[in-house]
Amino acid sequence: MTPIDPAIKINALELRNLNFFYGKFQGLKDVNLDIEERKVTAFIGPSGCGKSTLLRTLNRMYSLYPGQRAEGAVNFYGQNILDAKQDINLLRARIGMVFQKPTPFPMSIYDNIAFGVKLYENLSSAEMDDRVEWALSKAALWNEVKDKLKQSGLSLSGGQQQRLCIARSVAVKPSVLLLDEPTSALDPISTGKVEELVHELKQDYTIAIVTHNMQQAARCSDYTAYMYLGEMIEFGATEQIFFKPTKTATEDYITGRFG
Amino acid sequence: MPDKHISSQFDAELNTISTLVLEMGGLVESQLHQSIYALVNMSRDSAEQVINNEVRINQFEIQIDQAVISVIGRRQPTARDLRFLMAISRATQNLERAGDEVARIARMVESIVDSGSPRNLPSSELRVAADLAASMLRKTLDAFARLDITMAVAIIKSDDQIDDEYNGFMRKLITYMMEDPRTISASLDLMFLAKSIERVGDHAKNIAEQIIFIVKGEDVRHSSMEKVESAAK
Repeated sequence: MTPIDPAIKINALELRNLNFFYGKFQGLKDVNLDIEERKVTAFIGPSGCGKSTLLRTLNRMYSLYPGQRAEGAVNFYGQNILDAKQDINLLRARIGMVFQKPTPFPMSIYDNIAFGVKLYENLSSAEMDDRVEWALSKAALWNEVKDKLKQSGLSLSGGQQQRLCIARSVAVKPSVLLLDEPTSALDPISTGKVEELVHELKQDYTIAIVTHNMQQAARCSDYTAYMYLGEMIEFGATEQIFFKPTKTATEDYITGRFG
Repeated sequence: MPDKHISSQFDAELNTISTLVLEMGGLVESQLHQSIYALVNMSRDSAEQVINNEVRINQFEIQIDQAVISVIGRRQPTARDLRFLMAISRATQNLERAGDEVARIARMVESIVDSGSPRNLPSSELRVAADLAASMLRKTLDAFARLDITMAVAIIKSDDQIDDEYNGFMRKLITYMMEDPRTISASLDLMFLAKSIERVGDHAKNIAEQIIFIVKGEDVRHSSMEKVESAAK
């Protein structure tokens, strides 16, 4: 891992005293965290520890559900996205999300990509063709689908579908990509391709990834956050977390001991 | 140390490795005592036994390495487990080399006996250094079994004592050789013996450094004593 020069560190997202409530239940407790630009930050922790909740806060996915609310601040390049004035559609174009199960739209591969782009941009058909090719290439899928762009997105394999979803997120040119267990439904080869993709994409994007697979966090992230019962227990460089965590709780979790 | 993983099989595997290392260390230690006995009593039989036993130490090294590789391959250990296995691998290497030194002592005893060299050389004085090295190795194995870093620091410090003994012995031998050139050949043998004993102490010290690596995650090899002490805090 290249040493990180603190002088040139820019944070894409800064979480400050973030609390999250599902009705009366508190899902996140006073989380403070910086997510550095063009780095991969992984969130690990046992089921129900709040890592997906945290990810869903970062593009206000939770606003879709009544009774869920966040307190504190999530500063996205200085702007608090929890602010009521925040345009949520614009926010989700800037902060894209990919879910655990591949969710292609029931339409052609081409339209899967074009659909989102049309919502935000007015492109000529030639420009749109370029954009679709660009996004599919970014997601390392272009060569596999270029001859069948008119086929349904659902005709692809699971791994391809997931990369299609990543392409769809990338197509609207977000600055942050949130990946919620993007490979848990995929076979090892597809997983490897997605991980490779994560590595490629961080040249241009800031990535936050939630994973149950600790080795995946170790393989593809620059920073790792360990969460437990809604709290941020430890955050640090991935190398440090996996080699010499400072908290016993973190060590117990990553070495597979009883906590 | 490998306590209470969710997978009890993982615990069992790490425990097996620990046990093997301690057995290997015990064998090296008893070999060292035997070679000292051979040296002090100029016993060819004892020396021969040490030489014959060396192969068992080598077998331990291979067996432990295989077990370590297997656990790494199948379990992808992290944090303390990873450090533990790395340390085991290094400790085993040091034990094997200490075993080589001990066998070297035995072979030299054989050659001294065979050449019928004079007995009036200070070979019994080597015993002080050899006993120090043996007790250092014993303590190291104890500290390793208990992951006791306070003891590890004390062991690293005590290596200087063996080095002092070694230097003192060297000076004495030089005096002998100057006084009576007929003792030169046997003195050279003793010099190599002393060097081997000193090396055993070094290996024990290297293993003690690995205890700090396991517990604290600090690599204190090639570090000053101050650094070792602050890492162990």
